[in-house]
Amino acid sequence: MSIDRLRISVFDYEAGNLHSLVKSLETEFTTVRVERDPAAAVRNTDALVLPGVGAFTPAADRLASGRDVMRAALLDGLPCLGICLGMQLLFDHSDEGPGEGLSVLTGRVTRLDAQRVPQIGWNTLEPTAPLDALLASSGLDTVYFANSFVCRPTGASAQHVIAYTTHETDRFPAAVRVGNVVGAQFHPEKSSAAGVRFVRAFLREATQRAAQRGTLGSSVTEDVTS
Amino acid sequence: MLTRRVIVCLDVKGARVVKGVQFVGLRDVGDPVALATRYEAEGADEITFLDISASAEERATLLDVARRTAEQLFIPLTIGGGVRTAADVARALRAGADKVSLNSAAVSRPEVLTEAADRFGAQCVVASIDAKRGEGGAWKVWVKGGREETPLEAVAWAQECVARGAGEILLTSIDRDGARIGYDIELTRAVADAVQVPVIASGGAGDAQHLVDAVQQAHADAVLVAGILHDGLTTVAALKDVMRSAGLPVRALPEIVV
Repeated sequence: MSIDRLRISVFDYEAGNLHSLVKSLETEFTTVRVERDPAAAVRNTDALVLPGVGAFTPAADRLASGRDVMRAALLDGLPCLGICLGMQLLFDHSDEGPGEGLSVLTGRVTRLDAQRVPQIGWNTLEPTAPLDALLASSGLDTVYFANSFVCRPTGASAQHVIAYTTHETDRFPAAVRVGNVVGAQFHPEKSSAAGVRFVRAFLREATQRAAQRGTLGSSVTEDVTS
Repeated sequence: MLTRRVIVCLDVKGARVVKGVQFVGLRDVGDPVALATRYEAEGADEITFLDISASAEERATLLDVARRTAEQLFIPLTIGGGVRTAADVARALRAGADKVSLNSAAVSRPEVLTEAADRFGAQCVVASIDAKRGEGGAWKVWVKGGREETPLEAVAWAQECVARGAGEILLTSIDRDGARIGYDIELTRAVADAVQVPVIASGGAGDAQHLVDAVQQAHADAVLVAGILHDGLTTVAALKDVMRSAGLPVRALPEIVV
């Protein structure tokens, strides 16, 4: 007997700690695999996770070979959770260094405009209205940040901010959402119980989508069917 | 608003948590995984494992302890002690650490701070500085677990660590370590005012007012606490209540989830 499990791929830019992230994704209803190849990371999966530790340029380098494939998959509706650096990769470019992001959202990543940088610690969320379902169901309030750089959405992308936070006098997006693509500048996997609930809420949404599409627990590869 | 963190430090030797007074006289206080998760439940904002192993054999067990801890801990974990190279940093991060602190290795080869920051980002590189007031009142940097004096002056060394890529300073007063008479306010303020990264005050916490003083008078972003918690003299929640009453922003206790 088999259970229909949500297939989650974690794109590994080989920068840091994936351990507790993977642990927060693993449930009896999921299978998690870690992918070093960006194109493979969006094949045969129901949800993509872009983890949060590392620097922009090395990560963009790792992404480059599959950048267009990954971007197309996200624009096509593949649920994605980008954490910290993973959220920054959803934008165009970064002042941290050269390299091309996924440009799912328009804007640039720039250095925090504050005296004490990096921002390290727990900061309060300022959700935008209407309150996003993921924030509502998780009850997230104070979350853990560890970042020197922040996303500055331009044009229509500013409407996709679901929560801000403020460090000293710099107010910047703490979380964004465009369709099924969610970005968190904070670390939900490090934000204790409510953070884990936020991740689980994202997975529930991804599970519903996969169930509707009939891909849940599917062993048929998208390559073959398309 | 960014809250002030209460960080619980667990000195780990082999696979056990120990606590000493002025870096000597160790006694066993428990299992690291059980203690770390208990402190998360009590409201700790972060856990630091400081590896004080004497041998390579003991040291090898720390990464395993980190791995087992990271499976159950959903707040940040910092690992320090015995980290010498960027490859060591990579191994600690892989095992589940979110940040890695470097102490003696940075003194003998400061380039390691830059190498680690370039590869993993400044936010996971912590410069750990053990300082002791020397002749004439200047704070000198000591290494090898507080056993060996260096010619470095603590404030200037902290600035150099930041210039080389450290994203945070963990500042321990050797004079105050385990003494429970309060953090070294002058030392902490001198360093906190001289650098533009977060500074964690460490060494000397005896009661909640000491934590308030470290933030209000010494401008620390975070406070490190160990012995008074391990001995059951107070709790993280009780410490935070006093901080909150003093007007400091602190994270509320996480709600119980069944």
